[in-house]
Amino acid sequence: MVERWRLLDTGLNDAFYNMALDEAIAVARSRNIVPNTIRFFRWEPSAVSIGYFQSMEEEVDVEACRRLGIDYVRRRTGGGAVYHDRDGELTYSIVVSEDHPLVSRDFQKTYENLCSGLVRGLRLLGVPAEFKPINDIVVEGRKISGNAQTRGMGVVHQHGTILRDVNPTIMFTVLKVPSEKIRDKMIKSAEERVTSIKRYLGREVSFEELKRALIRGFEESFGIELVPGKIDAFEEELALSLKKEKYSTREWNFKR
Amino acid sequence: MHKYSMLLISKNYLMELVKMLKAEYKAEGGKLIKVQMTKRGNKIDSIKITGDFFMHPEDLIDELEKALLGCLLNEDVIVETIERFIKDRGAVLLGAAPEDFAKCIIKAGGGDG
Repeated sequence: MVERWRLLDTGLNDAFYNMALDEAIAVARSRNIVPNTIRFFRWEPSAVSIGYFQSMEEEVDVEACRRLGIDYVRRRTGGGAVYHDRDGELTYSIVVSEDHPLVSRDFQKTYENLCSGLVRGLRLLGVPAEFKPINDIVVEGRKISGNAQTRGMGVVHQHGTILRDVNPTIMFTVLKVPSEKIRDKMIKSAEERVTSIKRYLGREVSFEELKRALIRGFEESFGIELVPGKIDAFEEELALSLKKEKYSTREWNFKR
Repeated sequence: MHKYSMLLISKNYLMELVKMLKAEYKAEGGKLIKVQMTKRGNKIDSIKITGDFFMHPEDLIDELEKALLGCLLNEDVIVETIERFIKDRGAVLLGAAPEDFAKCIIKAGGGDG
């Protein structure tokens, strides 16, 4: 009998709820309230997230974000600053019990295992994706997906991005650059280092088509069946409280 | 004269205490480490380590910074301090090694040679 995981598609939400729900799912999984879960989500408004260890002031042009109506939030995972475009990016998270065979004691190996579902999904679309240590997925050497992982309470939580379309100009308006002089240079260099499904395939791939491919990729790669499910009442309540008490607070977002 | 020179010493001393020292260092693992610190003599007086590396569990970073307070600005001593901390606390670093943190700290604060 094939192993069944829960599939959540939570659509568009603000950055604080998105990060809060990820943590709430991890807590719910650790208490065995919910099964292993893969979640798809998007950001409205568009947002910037920074890694746990980063400084908001150093990484993000908060004034530009306010002007453009872009949210900014600190993640519970390490890694770098990311611009999450409402229309360009699909975000996923995986919450899986630490005792699952996909999880190794070795963090690097676990990234590779969990990213294998995304790699397979992208290949189904005709995008020759490859995992690139530490935590990236690349196409012909260009980054198309960034991923970050944390573990605790017996649960591994990995989330990451898949670029349908990419806009380095907005990216470097909201992310700080060392100096104005090199902003254009950074945009050009990002255009060379980063790609998207649209750019590689030369056609628009809808969110629905992308999700269908990734679902199959995860199912085939993990040997599981993804069953569409709902957010548990415990998760929803905890998410709302984490949004209010943690992810939307200045104390959390500016703590480093 | 004596009184005057004392005043100078204490002024320099205070200046050094509040002077924020900064450095960035690209780790071999590919991640960027940033250090902001102040020093007292040739020891770390305050320190904040930021960057896009991974450390598990994440909240140990505050304690790692505490463990570095008073540490001599010597690369070997800093590496040893961080390695001991990691071992004692069961922490895991990914994308940056203790040597990278030490190099960034020395770059910010200068070394004792």
